Amino acid sequence: MKNPIQYIRQSLSRKLSLWIVFFAAIIFNVALGFMFTQALKAVRQEAINRATKELDNTVLRVNSILNYVEWATNNTDWLVLRHLDAPDSMFVYSRRILQNNPYLNGCSIAFEPYYFKDRGRFFSAYSYYDDGKVQTVQEGNDSYVYFYMDWYQTAKLMDRPVWTEPFCDFNPELNNTSVIIASYCKPLKDEAGNYIGTISTDLSLDWLSETISALKPYPNSYSMMIGEGGTYFVHPDKDKLLYQTIFTETLKYPNPELSAMGHAMLRGEEGMCELQMDGVDSYVFYKPLGETGWSVAIVCPESDIFEGYLKLRHLVAFIVVIGLILMLLIFSRIVTHELKPLRSLADQTDTIAKGSFDQLLPEDNRSDEIGRLSHSFTNMQQSLVRYVEQLKETTATKASIESELKVASAIQASMLPRIFPPFPERKDIDLYASMKPAKEVGGDLFDFFLRDEKLFFCIGDVSGKGAPAAMLMAVTHSLFRAASARESDPSVIMRSINETVCLDNEANMFVTVFLGVLDLPSGRLRFCNAGHDSPLLLGSGVATLDCMPNLPIGILSEMKYTTQECGIEAGTTIFLYTDGLTEAMNIDHEQYGKDRVVERLKTCVEQKMGPRNILDTMFDGVHAFVQDADQSDDLTMLALRYTPGQFATILSDTLTLNCDVARVPELNDFIKSITERLNMDPTVAGQVQLAVEEAVVNVMSYAYPEKGKGFVTIKAMSDGHELRLVVIDSGVAFDPTSAEKADTTLSVEDRPIGGLGIFLVRELMDSINYERVDNRNILMMIKNI
Amino acid sequence: MEIKITTEGKETIAALIGRLDTMAAQEIAPKMDELKNVSGTLILDCSELSYISSSGLRIFLTLRKAAAEKGGKVIVRSMSNEIRSVFMMTGFMNLFEIQ
Repeated sequence: MKNPIQYIRQSLSRKLSLWIVFFAAIIFNVALGFMFTQALKAVRQEAINRATKELDNTVLRVNSILNYVEWATNNTDWLVLRHLDAPDSMFVYSRRILQNNPYLNGCSIAFEPYYFKDRGRFFSAYSYYDDGKVQTVQEGNDSYVYFYMDWYQTAKLMDRPVWTEPFCDFNPELNNTSVIIASYCKPLKDEAGNYIGTISTDLSLDWLSETISALKPYPNSYSMMIGEGGTYFVHPDKDKLLYQTIFTETLKYPNPELSAMGHAMLRGEEGMCELQMDGVDSYVFYKPLGETGWSVAIVCPESDIFEGYLKLRHLVAFIVVIGLILMLLIFSRIVTHELKPLRSLADQTDTIAKGSFDQLLPEDNRSDEIGRLSHSFTNMQQSLVRYVEQLKETTATKASIESELKVASAIQASMLPRIFPPFPERKDIDLYASMKPAKEVGGDLFDFFLRDEKLFFCIGDVSGKGAPAAMLMAVTHSLFRAASARESDPSVIMRSINETVCLDNEANMFVTVFLGVLDLPSGRLRFCNAGHDSPLLLGSGVATLDCMPNLPIGILSEMKYTTQECGIEAGTTIFLYTDGLTEAMNIDHEQYGKDRVVERLKTCVEQKMGPRNILDTMFDGVHAFVQDADQSDDLTMLALRYTPGQFATILSDTLTLNCDVARVPELNDFIKSITERLNMDPTVAGQVQLAVEEAVVNVMSYAYPEKGKGFVTIKAMSDGHELRLVVIDSGVAFDPTSAEKADTTLSVEDRPIGGLGIFLVRELMDSINYERVDNRNILMMIKNI
Repeated sequence: MEIKITTEGKETIAALIGRLDTMAAQEIAPKMDELKNVSGTLILDCSELSYISSSGLRIFLTLRKAAAEKGGKVIVRSMSNEIRSVFMMTGFMNLFEIQ
């Protein structure tokens, strides 16, 4: 068996029913308790009223009987006194009283001894009933000396009419019958007032007792009467009559209430008391009986008085208990029935909780709280189903976006240079760069490439992060490549990029860019900054490159970017970075800061680190600082070390010509002598000759506005490994490296006549380089020997 | 630089001798104008041409365009390796009939 408390707790219907029944029981108890208390009072009062009334009736009746006896006696005694002269008439009168008064038991008209001389000592006319017939005798004789009897003496001595205490009238002449009687005795006096005898009428107390006892307010109630000494002379227990007083029992079993009541009755008081009579709780009502000194009492057992009340109480209690049990059962059923949808809802919820979101909920058209709950639940389930669907879609979309982002990330990585060292054949530059996006794709960019002995490089940072930034980054990167394909001036390149980016910049994004062009033969750095952090120069110490800040790309299309320049000394490392380095944050939102960057770079300088080591060191530093915090921004660094080799000249020669093609043979001879001195292969020498002729003729033809004016200088240098030929003029600025490459695949009709000169120079030489310095065009052509 | 022009039936043969550098190209320009007007097949004999600059190539292309207008053709014959490599480089091999 389960724990009953547990059993009740498990069910709302049980709890609810129990509570309801519990409170109903309390209310019933209080109401019924009050009602029964009031009823008890009423019943008691009713009992008192009823008993008192009965008692009054009884007393009235007894009094009337006694009065009747007195009246009958008084009606006769005047006859007796008038006819004293006729003694025999006394028999008539005695007989007549009896005959006229059926209540009477006997009547004696007794005279003093020798009152009637002729009659002797005794004369008492006595009439009595014998077998229902009135007998009249002279009762005085020697064995019954009547004038010594109490009834006779009392009246004589008291000198007034009296009622005798009841006594057992034993008359041996009358078949030993004993009757309890009470007698009304009245003294007889002659005209002189002398006492002459006593007239006595007997009242049978059996009869009186029957009369009294007939009055029973309750089935088990009874009446009793006591005389002046407390002697019972009316009592249902005949044995007690005359032999016991009201106090007799108290001698055996002390009963103070009973004694008190006995005394009160003897005192002639009227009242009521609750006490035990013969071991039964009873209400006793008592009242004196006229002037006799007797007292009548009605004893009503409590059980009789309250019998109806108690029966009613038991019945009501029974009904209430049955009612409460029925109530409990019915409420339990009703609540269980009402809560049925709730249970099925709970079952369905369990099913739903296991993942069956499309489980149908029971339809319920109820409009009460349960109906609303059911409705809300259905709504919630539908929302849940929708939400799960959306979640699935979102997750799928997210997964597809993620996979796309991975592809994008790979594309972005492939867009940037990723082979390091990028120029293994070159000893003059060592370069290393890295981009670590904060998300799959980043908005940082860097790029570099070599063209015509110039290193083009840039670093940039698109505002924002993620896919939009990555797209603009890709655009910027492509534009950088496109714009610098034939242009070497950083500001021109920057302007070109800016104009294109500004064109359709509806997202209002912008890019900070630092763009540099390092002329490798001369070490001259031209750069243009568009709002990016100034690069740091790592030489003997760490210095900041003095940059104009300018506006970032994408803000103002007509922004005039200007080129700045400076010389880079051999051994210097140019360190470029994005703000992902300086603004890298640790968990306390503290930024790494430029000071830490510079400090760390100083140690790199001290340890003479190469670009790759520098970047590794910087990354380590940032990671140590940031620790577990998420990378807040893309982090990009580029380090470029410039280490031009010493050119150990073994041959150097110069030729200056005026701008006249007629001087070309001289040039040819000059070149021929150079190639011969270097013992160059004739084929290679021929290529060099053709290239130089084309370059020089180009200058002669186009450098100076006026034909035939101006000079062109040709310098030839060699260290034994390569031949450098430098063509210098002070004509209009012309960058042959920016010339469009001739299309050698065109048909005869489409092919332009000119434009092959520069093309040939580029094709024939290993490398060319153009610089404009001090208003001079300097074209260097390099051919490996 | 020397140029010898001979005619054999419908064929005009121009033998280019020496170096055709920028200077030479200017010198031979008038003769080249003659060749532009040649009808029939023009054969440029390069067996003795040792050098050609872009100016020379320009003349070659001018002749080729003129011939194309008249429906004639230009044959370049006996190129040295040096000249051939320049022709290769500049895509001229595709413009001329090479013999």
